[in-house]
Amino acid sequence: MTALGAPGLPEREIRARARNGTAEVFPDPATYGTRLYGPGPTAVVDDLDRARIVPPVFMPQRLEKLIDLAREPEFTDVDLGSRTGGFTTRLPLYLSAFGSTRAGSGDLAVHASRQAARLGIPMVIGENMIPVHGYRRAGDATRSALLARVEAYLDAAPDGVGGVVVQQSTEDADSEVWNLLYSDPAFRPLLESGRLAFELKTGQGAKPGLGGMTVVDRAEAELLARRFTVSDVLDPAGERRLRCATPGTFTDEILRQQLRFMRNNFPKARTWVKFHPGRDIAHAARTAWSAGADAVTVDGAEGGTGWAPGVFLDHVGLPLAECLRRIGRPDGCLLATGGMWEGGRAVRALALGATAVGLGRAALVAVDEDPEHGLERLVDSIALELRLLVSALGKYTVAALGPEDLWWPDGRPSHADRTADAPPRAVADPAGATP
Amino acid sequence: MDQPPSAGAPATPPPLGEHLRSPRLRAAMLVQQEALHAARAFLRGEGFTELLPPLVGPVTDPGGRGAKALDVDYYGHPYKLMTSAILYKQASLRGFPRLFYVAPNVRVEPEETAGTGRHLVEFHQIDVEIADGTREDVQEIAAGLLTHVTEHVWTAVPEILGGLGRIEGDFADVRAGKYDVRTHDEAVAHLLAAGHPQNPDGEIDWAGERLLSLESDRPFFVNDYPKGSRGFYDREDPERPGVLRNFDLIAPHGYGELVSGSEREADYATIVTRMRESGENPAKYAWYLKEARDGMPASAGFGMGLQRLVRFLTGLDALWQVSAYPKLPGVVAP
Repeated sequence: MTALGAPGLPEREIRARARNGTAEVFPDPATYGTRLYGPGPTAVVDDLDRARIVPPVFMPQRLEKLIDLAREPEFTDVDLGSRTGGFTTRLPLYLSAFGSTRAGSGDLAVHASRQAARLGIPMVIGENMIPVHGYRRAGDATRSALLARVEAYLDAAPDGVGGVVVQQSTEDADSEVWNLLYSDPAFRPLLESGRLAFELKTGQGAKPGLGGMTVVDRAEAELLARRFTVSDVLDPAGERRLRCATPGTFTDEILRQQLRFMRNNFPKARTWVKFHPGRDIAHAARTAWSAGADAVTVDGAEGGTGWAPGVFLDHVGLPLAECLRRIGRPDGCLLATGGMWEGGRAVRALALGATAVGLGRAALVAVDEDPEHGLERLVDSIALELRLLVSALGKYTVAALGPEDLWWPDGRPSHADRTADAPPRAVADPAGATP
Repeated sequence: MDQPPSAGAPATPPPLGEHLRSPRLRAAMLVQQEALHAARAFLRGEGFTELLPPLVGPVTDPGGRGAKALDVDYYGHPYKLMTSAILYKQASLRGFPRLFYVAPNVRVEPEETAGTGRHLVEFHQIDVEIADGTREDVQEIAAGLLTHVTEHVWTAVPEILGGLGRIEGDFADVRAGKYDVRTHDEAVAHLLAAGHPQNPDGEIDWAGERLLSLESDRPFFVNDYPKGSRGFYDREDPERPGVLRNFDLIAPHGYGELVSGSEREADYATIVTRMRESGENPAKYAWYLKEARDGMPASAGFGMGLQRLVRFLTGLDALWQVSAYPKLPGVVAP
């Protein structure tokens, strides 16, 4: 354990899960039979957490499962397997990009990579890794941070599941990151097994509308000054300087053509695109899917491991729940990140249309707590909660979740076009789909 | 005679010394020498000036299809070896309105191209550009060039071509200047109808191009590739957004693409926007954008792959057989 902190996330609970795994899903078993339980203090982080997960009484899909199994279904019968952005995954989860910040690019990231591989979930590697940390230089035996993560993942990944996703930002394009990886024999095992994707990064969850920012010391600043803007806003003496990447300019036509270009140039790689929580997120997502993106990632304003100005953290960007509501029924694979660390928030995002949810800061905290198995235990606890919740809703696959599974205390409408669990002839409120 | 699948030749060359001593390479180099002689004579006759191209620069042709430029440390600046000198061709037009290079290029191609028989990391192009030219103007030059070169080698070294198993009658259409034209849309529809999966928004893939080439007895142009399949410098058709005023010239009998060309975009703001659409950072193209801002002539041009041309003429299976110093994608060679 290091001094890594994650304000805004329930760090104590995440660390407990990293140590104790599924046991943390329940109250302390030592209190069983001696204490009466009721609701705890409401753990509302943002709008998404305000929705309650609402099982119905009548469960036709449970009946289907009963017929299928010839016995009563249990929560262990929930199939959490998913097709995420062209990959086969064991859980509707993936490891989000950590970016090139110090917290996200050291040994912790390598540990997280190895555990994500063992879990059979995809891993996204952040932008700016190569312009900042370099790749492989002739005669230089040291491996880059990016290659170390890919090798750790490949060593531990079971056959046929998971995948590696590499982001490229505007500055990465100068370093030709995707071309570099696509022509590198080290990536051949991923390409041959269809487990490499490239993610076009168009924005930052933590600072919508801006590019990446990191803090660098004087020596690093001099090295990076040619590729990035480096400024003295932090410290007049210039001991610690702010390195800024540009966010890149996008219009719908630029996005459409960049995605086509990716598909044309890297036909064996999957194509992902990541958006910041912009107010036109629905238009952006539709544009990406229609241009052939295999996955669209929405990074809610609650997300991001990145260094960001306080005014952005507190005031800028749409909350994840509103992003998902604006997108409505997705035309393709939708991935959601931002403040994910337990099963309840994940189920809400999945019910609002996400195919999978990304673990970012929580994963880093978990490997910080236990580098060997912290992330695996955290994910085990989330997976158990997902099985419990999905089966309680009378469903047995993640894809069966829908907005009818949520109830909003302030009466927000859900998407009108999503299936409710009432039969078509019902005219009354179908189990809370339109409260 | 159809070009056999590239499996006909060993996948990789023998050791370099052995390769350089082989009679087959000697025959190919004699054909190449005649082809270069004929190409220069033809282009000079058409009023072109030959320049020698640059080898390194701050930027190069971003190209496509996953190939990477090689980095060079140039007095501490990150420079690139030329993947093609297209940007320099355009910049030269005010002084040289009809120009050509025989240009060496380096592209670190992805390993998946190793099996096409048509990719080398180091190769040469006969690189042509015409100020104020149209697609039709440069297609006429490209077709004339191929016809003239073919005619010349069959006149100058027929015994070498015969010795390599080439049949003169197979070149009748090329020598008579008979070329077909089809659009990218038509090519895609044809491939899909034949059961070949082909992305309609992208390049025609290697296997699809080979199918089209095998079906044809004469060379043919494929026009109107979609935006998103080619570089930012290929001009978009103002009448048909999303369609580029570009072309490939495909050799018959399975030999595939010999030429890529287009009308070029010359409008500064359009170039910057197109750079973004292809994921490029305009800042690194500063010198080129200054030329564009100062007024670069509209133009059209093409590059004809020299080794591909010689392979078509000689009928050899793989591109490495027509290069004295072959470097195959993904293979570390001297």
